[in-house]
Amino acid sequence: MVSFEQLAHLSWLVPAFPLAGALVNAALRRKLGANGSGALATLLVAASFVVSALLFWSHRPEEHPVEVVTLFDWIHVGGMSIPFAFQIDALSLTMMLIVTGVGMLIHLYSIGYMHDDPRVASFFAMLNLFTFAMLLLVMGANYLITFIGWEGVGLCSYLLIGFWYTNPAYNYAARKAFVMNRIGDVGVVLALALLFHLFGTLDYTAVLGRAGGFGVGNPLIVGATLLLFVGAMGKSAQIPLFTWLPDAMAGPTPVSALIHAATMVTAGIFLVVRSSVLFELAPFTKDVILAIGTATALLAASIGLFQNDIKKVLAYSTVSQLGYMFAALGLGAYSAGMFHVTTHAFFKALLFLGAGSVIHALGGEQDIRKMGGLKGVTKITYITFLIGTLAIAGIFPFSGFFSKDGILANAYAHSPVVYALLLFGALLTAFYMFRLLFLVFHGRYRGDRRPHESPAVITIPLIVLAVLSLGGGLLNLPHVFGGHEPMKHYLATAADGVAGEHLHLEAATEWILMGLSTVLVLLTAWYAYGRFAKRTTLDGEPADMPFLKRLIAEKWRIDELYATLFEKPYGWLSTTLFTFGENKVMTPLMNGVGNVTLRAGKVVRRLQTGNASFYLFAMVAGIIVFLLLTLYGV
Amino acid sequence: MELLVLLLIPFLSATLLAVVRPTLAARGIALVSSLATLAVALWLWYRYRGEPVMAVDLDWVPAWGLRFVLGYDGTGLLMVILTAVLFPFIIAAGFKQNLKHPSLVNALLLYAQSFMLGVFTAQNAFLFYIFYELSLLPVFFLLLYWGGERRRAITVRFFIYTLLGGLALLFGIAYCVVQEPTHSADFSALAALHLPLDTQIWLFWALFLAFAIKLPIFPFHSWQPDTYTMAPLQGTMVLGGVMLKMGLYGTLKFVFPIVPEGTAHWREWVIWLSLIGAIYAAVIAFRQRDLKRLVAYSSLSHVGLLTAGLFAWNAYGVSGSLYQAFAHAVLVVSLFYIVGAMKDRVGSSEIAAMGGLKLRTPRLAALFLLVVLNAVALPLTQSFVGEWLMFNGLWQLNGWMAFAAVTTIVLGAIYMFYAYQRVMLGPDKWQLEVHDADGGDHLFLVPLIAVTLVLGLYPAPILDLVNGPVQQMLSTFTVLR
Amino acid sequence: MNEITTAIRTVPLEHYVFLSFVLFSIGLAGALFRRNTIIILMCLELMFNSVNLLLAAFSAFHSDPSGQVFVFFIMLVAAAEVTVGLAILVMMKRNVDSVDVNQLNRLRW
Repeated sequence: MVSFEQLAHLSWLVPAFPLAGALVNAALRRKLGANGSGALATLLVAASFVVSALLFWSHRPEEHPVEVVTLFDWIHVGGMSIPFAFQIDALSLTMMLIVTGVGMLIHLYSIGYMHDDPRVASFFAMLNLFTFAMLLLVMGANYLITFIGWEGVGLCSYLLIGFWYTNPAYNYAARKAFVMNRIGDVGVVLALALLFHLFGTLDYTAVLGRAGGFGVGNPLIVGATLLLFVGAMGKSAQIPLFTWLPDAMAGPTPVSALIHAATMVTAGIFLVVRSSVLFELAPFTKDVILAIGTATALLAASIGLFQNDIKKVLAYSTVSQLGYMFAALGLGAYSAGMFHVTTHAFFKALLFLGAGSVIHALGGEQDIRKMGGLKGVTKITYITFLIGTLAIAGIFPFSGFFSKDGILANAYAHSPVVYALLLFGALLTAFYMFRLLFLVFHGRYRGDRRPHESPAVITIPLIVLAVLSLGGGLLNLPHVFGGHEPMKHYLATAADGVAGEHLHLEAATEWILMGLSTVLVLLTAWYAYGRFAKRTTLDGEPADMPFLKRLIAEKWRIDELYATLFEKPYGWLSTTLFTFGENKVMTPLMNGVGNVTLRAGKVVRRLQTGNASFYLFAMVAGIIVFLLLTLYGV
Repeated sequence: MELLVLLLIPFLSATLLAVVRPTLAARGIALVSSLATLAVALWLWYRYRGEPVMAVDLDWVPAWGLRFVLGYDGTGLLMVILTAVLFPFIIAAGFKQNLKHPSLVNALLLYAQSFMLGVFTAQNAFLFYIFYELSLLPVFFLLLYWGGERRRAITVRFFIYTLLGGLALLFGIAYCVVQEPTHSADFSALAALHLPLDTQIWLFWALFLAFAIKLPIFPFHSWQPDTYTMAPLQGTMVLGGVMLKMGLYGTLKFVFPIVPEGTAHWREWVIWLSLIGAIYAAVIAFRQRDLKRLVAYSSLSHVGLLTAGLFAWNAYGVSGSLYQAFAHAVLVVSLFYIVGAMKDRVGSSEIAAMGGLKLRTPRLAALFLLVVLNAVALPLTQSFVGEWLMFNGLWQLNGWMAFAAVTTIVLGAIYMFYAYQRVMLGPDKWQLEVHDADGGDHLFLVPLIAVTLVLGLYPAPILDLVNGPVQQMLSTFTVLR
Repeated sequence: MNEITTAIRTVPLEHYVFLSFVLFSIGLAGALFRRNTIIILMCLELMFNSVNLLLAAFSAFHSDPSGQVFVFFIMLVAAAEVTVGLAILVMMKRNVDSVDVNQLNRLRW
């Protein structure tokens, strides 16, 4: 049996496998064939998963919590030394398992889903590249390695959103995603520069170890954490940088499942948990995170209520769930946030893949007004989607119940107001998810295509994810159910913020809170059933709706707001700076140098009369002047 | 001795080409010559042991302090390598251009290379100046006779404007030499000159103006977009890839050591000007209609950042700036090559005439994308290392400067991806019958992209080269203590 | 040789300087204010000769023969100059049919 240390030195294999897959798929994209490239990509991610799993099993957090594996010196200048190194600990292992495990299933699913696409090899190359970048992000032993992955996943997200590049709207969505992520990245880069300025290093162990030297509320630490959070806002789609995520649904559905639901968008949460020591020193930042997380959870959930595109509903639901996770982080409940990251990865991947299966079954139809009654035809998809819905709605004993309850309990302990808001958000979630479920699978079919169940390569990942969504709660079973919160204790070995968590609620209080939320969610589900299960027609266009409903259906008009506030003025600025600033000010300024010379020439050349006598006279006059100057001058 | 060989190879081959004027073999001869230069430069690199090297030392006009002294340290060697690496590519770019009189074009290019290598190895201020102005001549003729629309007006403007800066530089050098007790113009002697603060404050601009125009930084930049757009492809590559690095190098060799207190006095002004210019150019680039002009503005934006990093005046800023100089050179050459490739295929560099080309040229699109990634400084490309170091350098100075610098990563992403999408993606509007990237295109772009990625993953060779001289130079400035 | 220098020294140096100054001024005034090119040329010769006179006088008073060497030198130059000048004059007469110096104003710009 090899030891953890020995295995850890092979940890570079974990990102190396998908990178190799990306390169091979890109190089041989004409030769592998659809199944060949898919199989290659899937197997390589599976290999990463196996290595991650081996690492996980050999990991003894009590004895050896952290192992840092340095490959080589990356950037070394003066006092700055940034190694290319991986950090293997409880947090990175958790994320590695999620990324490779869920990623493997989604790769497998993609073989079926993307089978007929002519650029399937490119697709798998990008998907593998994404896995590579995401693994760098979670495995990095310093902030800059994480940042490589951070930018890398942004790039892959851009490429995959714009995968069908002949559609200008998709390209716009891709660009929007990249630019919004980049706005967040400004925060990250500045935070990193500030952290380097403060600590002289970016290694997690060193930075987090020395952070205790700064007092609570130190303005520099508060600034650094706020900047980090700006980055998290961009990557994890929080207010105000969330509008890219719904648009990102332009990409193929497996991409939405992997990148825009299960993994990449949780990078922000990962970063905050990774730096939890710093965030614990910055109560102000935590308040900001709590406020923004809660607001995002509610705003996105409200928009989800009236969406008619099956993927858009799930997208807003993702934004909303990310809001929950950030709310948990703002409350200092890092383990609850990470737990929700994990369960969300399961059930949201499941829901997206299920949605993909539905879209596949209907030959590309995404409008839920043209669905309905699919439960008879697509049985496996229906059952798994139902499990996903029950999980996200937070119904016992599905995984979402435990993770959401963990967040709600922490919220209650912090302030009843936050609790009430988050509970309200949970009810909205339950409502739009059950609306979606009933509209798609119940009632009568409203479309005109011939639905069919998807092949096994698509349904197997659904079944596996359904099992995980069902049993995922066991990962962090709370005390009231006789569990020991294993995930929390595991993560506590890696993140000091988790170790410092304390939540004291009476068992009775917890039971009441759980009962309350369960009853309310069930009532909501029942209400949704009554409204939508038997529907044969649906609301028309937003224009016919009352004002508030219309506003919500039009996504609070935030896209329009941003277009008016930023995009148009920026375009105007660009044009004006060029036509006015550049052509009317700067260039004439430069030409001025030449013009002054020309004008001066025009004046001075009058002296050149061509009259020899005059020249002679001038010469003599000059001589006399110089003579006088020499004789009597200064 | 190797240094003389380094300068003479391009010079003699250029003379050969200009005299014999072979039509068919011209490009081949030039390519072989530039490869030989590259081999010598790599040999120098291999032999370099971290100590400054003085190779040639001959008296020329002792009365003016003008001596023919060649030598290099890590920074000079970096520039030599940069020039030597890029020129084979610049000459290779001509294989597809089919300009008239290829022997003359290549002769001019090689003359330019020789003189620029002279600039980067000269250890005497007058000698530096002579090479500095000489290198302008071949480019002037290249632009004047092989340029595009309005070439006369634009070339003359460019020439006069740069010459104006050169004049100020000459005056500055002359002033310094007069002040120097032994009237020596060697860099080592001038660096030991301690001029009074009042003098340094005005002398700074006399010395820096030429470089500010050559780079160019913000208010002195107006010649650049027109010139880059109008110039023949190879001329643009020379201008953007190598010539502007003379400004950077000159600042490092001239301005900092001779007028350190003057630099300290003007430093923040220059940094803010550079950053304003970086943002200004990035904003303008967004809505450009001509791909070549867009790339010109993007280069302007990057140069603003380079200058700001250099003037941050600490190890991170200066090393980052020098590192980025290399990255930018590779970037500019590959970007302009792609512009040229698009122009060859579409017949115009107007973006409106392109769109949806990825359907027909998927390989070219992939190469373009890889170059764009370097342009937006994605981690694991060369540019990221440089920009990251410069951001840190600026942060050490002032958080707001770092903020202004970092915003360019957003603006850069906006215009670069917008340009890429307008050219390559979207529906196939024009139904152009264009061919995909062929072997020549791959031979050109793949090595450059490989350099980008390898040095992005493992920047140590370049960083180690400049690290020593930069530390050593910074430690001599009492202003910084 | 000695007799000549002695003979020259019989007149005080100031007189030579004064005479030379007067000759030079006459030449200069003529060159400046006359329009006839022939006269201007003659005035130039006058100025040359005033300088020659001065050189010879100083040479004698200082017992330094190099001054006289200069005199010969200047005479040579003056002869050359006059040939060129007269050639220009001839061409001028042929071209503009005048020897008025003001007619020759096409040399500007």
